[in-house]
Amino acid sequence: MHGTVPLARRNQLAEPRRLAASAIAVGLAIMLILLLDGLGAGITRSVTAYEDNVGADLYVAQAGTRNFFGAVSLIPRDTLETVRAQPDVDWAARIRTFLAIIELHDRKIPTAIVGWVPGRRGGPWVIMEGRAPRSDNEVAIGRAVADRHGFNVGDSIAIMGRRFRIVGTSADTFMLSFVFMTHRATDSLLGAPDTTSFILIGTARPGAVRAELAASGLAVLDRDELARRDLAVMTRAYKVPMGVMRAVAFVIGILVVALSVYTAMMDRRREYGILKAMGATRRNLLSMALRQTVIVAGAGLVAGGVLFMAGRALIMNLRPQFTVVLTVDATARAVAAALLMAAIAALLPAHQLARLEPASAFRGG
Amino acid sequence: MSVRRIPLARRNLFQDRRRAMLAIFGVGAAFVLVLILDGIFAGAMNQVTAYIRHSPADVFVAQRNVKTMHMTASALPPSTIEDVRTVDGVAWAEGLRFTTSTVNAGKASLLTYVLGYDTSTARGGPRRIAEGQAPGPGQTLVDTTAADELGVTVGDAVTILGRRFTISGLSAGGTNIVNTTVFITADDFAGIRGPTYAYILVGARAATPSNVLAEHLAGALPQTTVMGREEFADQEANVVRSMAADVMAIMTAIGFLIALALIGLTLFTSTISKQREYGILKALGANTRHLAAIVVTQAAWTIALAVVVAVALSVAIGAAIGTLTPNFEVDIQFSSVLRTGTSALVIGSLAALLPLRRVTRVDPATAFRRP
Repeated sequence: MHGTVPLARRNQLAEPRRLAASAIAVGLAIMLILLLDGLGAGITRSVTAYEDNVGADLYVAQAGTRNFFGAVSLIPRDTLETVRAQPDVDWAARIRTFLAIIELHDRKIPTAIVGWVPGRRGGPWVIMEGRAPRSDNEVAIGRAVADRHGFNVGDSIAIMGRRFRIVGTSADTFMLSFVFMTHRATDSLLGAPDTTSFILIGTARPGAVRAELAASGLAVLDRDELARRDLAVMTRAYKVPMGVMRAVAFVIGILVVALSVYTAMMDRRREYGILKAMGATRRNLLSMALRQTVIVAGAGLVAGGVLFMAGRALIMNLRPQFTVVLTVDATARAVAAALLMAAIAALLPAHQLARLEPASAFRGG
Repeated sequence: MSVRRIPLARRNLFQDRRRAMLAIFGVGAAFVLVLILDGIFAGAMNQVTAYIRHSPADVFVAQRNVKTMHMTASALPPSTIEDVRTVDGVAWAEGLRFTTSTVNAGKASLLTYVLGYDTSTARGGPRRIAEGQAPGPGQTLVDTTAADELGVTVGDAVTILGRRFTISGLSAGGTNIVNTTVFITADDFAGIRGPTYAYILVGARAATPSNVLAEHLAGALPQTTVMGREEFADQEANVVRSMAADVMAIMTAIGFLIALALIGLTLFTSTISKQREYGILKALGANTRHLAAIVVTQAAWTIALAVVVAVALSVAIGAAIGTLTPNFEVDIQFSSVLRTGTSALVIGSLAALLPLRRVTRVDPATAFRRP
């Protein structure tokens, strides 16, 4: 009999408002897990934006340099000539990069300043508005910062004590806004005219060029290793907090599902007593508890998906510097998390049902 | 009437202790999200400003418009130090060389501040040397936490700024959420990166308050930025604050939304379960205000206990994070608990609205129906 009557579903749907509140609470926990995963995937994509878009196969840097961001590489400017002299080098360009904090509207904005020689490679790969800088008092800034702080093309901005005219808006990366300016402008800002940070190389034979240049004592890095190390450095600060947040969200999900199903079952204790008196086994009752937690977790998963889409749109609209990406892996993890929540959450109600005496069917309320 | 004297709200909540515990721990876990994030943020601020706060310098001089260390490049001509020494009220002035780079050992690598300091005075050096001694030429001090992570100790070699250094000692308190700190001699630093200073550390004469000294220096060196120690530390903290503000706002909002949904769910389910009892109370003469008071008191109990649970869990999780990942400091501050508690009360009031509506509409005849 209990095999044909959908008791678990009826029990949960008997109080739709409770199911809705539970679904929203579980959904918020799943949304948090999805958002954290999405932010993580967004970070992975945006941290390597420069390496992904600038088109260089190799990067020549000061010996010991392992990263594009954070590590300040300083090599003589004439390294460019050494690199260009290599027979397999198709093109080479020098760029200077360093991180700088600029102050806008009482907030400190972290920026990655990139100085390049206009007309050569290494500058902005996309200009969303205006144009790329041409002279030493011009910059192109990240669009997210421009939008956030109300900057328009033609406005001026102070960077390290000097004023620059904004001539265009360009890309941003994770938690950083790119600021593109001429290499000469960065020479002047750092008071180091005869130096540069990296020589970008385009070549069809990266292995051969790397071997040739490595002999000269310079660090030669390929795009993938630079990207991998940048990712490790930039995400170091976020791994632990994100892991803790994910774990807490998962625990919250379990507690909500358990609370919802436990409450629903305890409110119908008498009916379950009748079932037991009619011959329902422990296994039947356990299965019923599990089916109910799956219903709540499933409703929560759907709510979580909807809340995630809304939350993602809100975050990326209000704070464009954050990229939230939904991946197949993240979706699979969310489904797995919901199922695991249901399985763990079923333990308490199932335990209570197993201890239920058939005689409770004949007691009043 | 007697309704007032019987603690119905508390009894309602705790009649089924398992349900009460699930609700309290659920709401508490939502507050943990907020408290832990606040704690990591406060810990990061402590760590990032530690070098400045523990410096013997009263005033710091930097390149014009440079007000921070983190993610910052500052360059002052070496002659600046002589200019500083001539200013009235200066007891001592010392150049500090600084850049951000990586410290490498084998395949392991960590982002690091590289500080070149005068080892004869040690004013620009670490707060404490835990093991070994200050660096000599070709030597470096590596932070204890970083040394563990890199798998190196005193006597081993590491690569900094492209050059091999032998570890002369291990310093303490220099690793934070983002990077670590290594110290080399000022001369070694100049040999690699040139003679410029990033900052000039300045000590005030006994009779000169640091703010007065800062004013003197700012007047005498208009091409620089002059900051007192507190101001410099505040500016540094602002970097973390600015970078974390948006993430904090998003996570805090989600934490409170989850708490709102959970408290609402708890109160709502408890109100439905006790609908008959509320009907009996109404039949006995209890007015809507009394019934509403029961719901509100239940909300208050749930929130108060959830905040206690959240604080205890956050402290425990914070301690575990600090032990497992020593570069993290989780500082659960009283102000954060107070802020979370106050917000929790607002959340509780909102969450009580739906059950309140239900209670006010309870029909006294419910008491006489079969459950």
